Amino acid sequence: MSRRAALSAQALAVLAALAARPSAWRHGYDLARETGLKSGTLYPILVRLADREIVQACWEEGEPAGRPRRHLYRLTSDGLATATAALAAAPAPAARPARPGRAAAPRRLAGEGP
Amino acid sequence: MERLTWMLAGMLRHAAGLLPPGRRQWAEAVRAEAGHVPAGWPRLRWLAGGLWLTAREGAKMMAGKIVYRLGAVAVAALAAWAVWLSWRTSPAADPQTVTDRVRVLVGVAALVALPWVARRRGWFGPVRSSMAARLVRLAGCAAVCGLGLAVVRMDSHLGLGPHQPGPFSLPREIAAVVLLGAALAARAVGKARWPDADPSALWAVPGTAGLLMFVAVPLQALAVVYVAGILAATSWRSPAANASLAAGAIAGLAGALPVYAAAGDDSYVGWLVLGIVVLTLLLAGLAGVAAAWLVPGTGDPQELREARLRQGLLAGLVAGAACGLLLTYLFVVAVFMLVLGPLLGAVGGAAGGAVAADHPRRSRPARSWSAGLFVSHW
Repeated sequence: MSRRAALSAQALAVLAALAARPSAWRHGYDLARETGLKSGTLYPILVRLADREIVQACWEEGEPAGRPRRHLYRLTSDGLATATAALAAAPAPAARPARPGRAAAPRRLAGEGP
Repeated sequence: MERLTWMLAGMLRHAAGLLPPGRRQWAEAVRAEAGHVPAGWPRLRWLAGGLWLTAREGAKMMAGKIVYRLGAVAVAALAAWAVWLSWRTSPAADPQTVTDRVRVLVGVAALVALPWVARRRGWFGPVRSSMAARLVRLAGCAAVCGLGLAVVRMDSHLGLGPHQPGPFSLPREIAAVVLLGAALAARAVGKARWPDADPSALWAVPGTAGLLMFVAVPLQALAVVYVAGILAATSWRSPAANASLAAGAIAGLAGALPVYAAAGDDSYVGWLVLGIVVLTLLLAGLAGVAAAWLVPGTGDPQELREARLRQGLLAGLVAGAACGLLLTYLFVVAVFMLVLGPLLGAVGGAAGGAVAADHPRRSRPARSWSAGLFVSHW
């Protein structure tokens, strides 16, 4: 019995954005621009990904002048493997990040259950 | 627009403070990031998204707590009803019913007192923050109360069935309370007085006291043991994983219901005890396999194997205890399953855990059923 996990199109878009530069720390607005997701969609996805240790999150070091510290994200080593496998298994359009300013349609991926 | 943005930022700051520490950072992250979003509508929408995140996380946290508290209130009402019913409907003149009243009271007292007795150590609570633990705790405590109700109902029909509580004996009940106190306090007292003593010697005294209590007042002892077991298995210090609790509880239910269905047919009665034993062993074994397979990898194969064996055993114990409790509630004559159920479950679960312990480690892709972010299926 093999188990397969499919992710929502939005979650795949976030993973694709993070996997494009796996060693770099990314911040929320950067990811939002790249994926076209709004903060109310992006952050719940990041919360779940961090809960499952796919994404690690930390606060920016030091005290930058004139602005608050940013929260940064990148894939963990296990998360990179999961993201690579999920993106490879996903149909091409869903794995592609949405155009900036436009969120990917919330739909299930082909091959999912009812 | 600026004023509105400022107001939303303030609301987000205050709302973030209401979240638990593990979630607060995410709301603060949205707020910190807002400064980088172009002013005007984009920033306003960004902050509104942060408020949505806060509301969503807060609602999830509160929903779990509210449901659990409502369940706890329902269990308390059930316990109170059992006590009230034992006074209301049992024949007051019959000395035998007093024994059952004491049994009901002991079970309810255990529900109330045990979490308080071990509150510092956290052995019996608070409940672990998971749906499986909360459900198992509520359902288990409700089943213990239900058992009290079943006993009371039997009292109101004395003379029917083999249930005979026996005459009330005040010295026996007092001795049982003393033994219970000794069982609960002996280890803590011994450890305080002889800190270097052998741990097995420290456990010997409470073990002996518990055994003597079981001999003197078996049902009272079982009520206390079951309540303690349910609270301990679902507390935040419990060694049983959520998957083990869920697998065990489901297997226990699955074991009791076919027996209930078969008991209606007289032609099966001769095979019923054998069927109960075999079914409990089998389902506890399956629960053990499931619980062991669901143990996440630790990197060390030996450590993983031990964890799987442990979770298999615990899932089997939960399955056997759940099956025993439910069967006893359904048929008071199956009271032997309160003892035999956990024993069979432990054997079955250990065997199931051993079968799965050497199963090749597989990667577990992240999955969730929450918010439709992930969809996992077989």
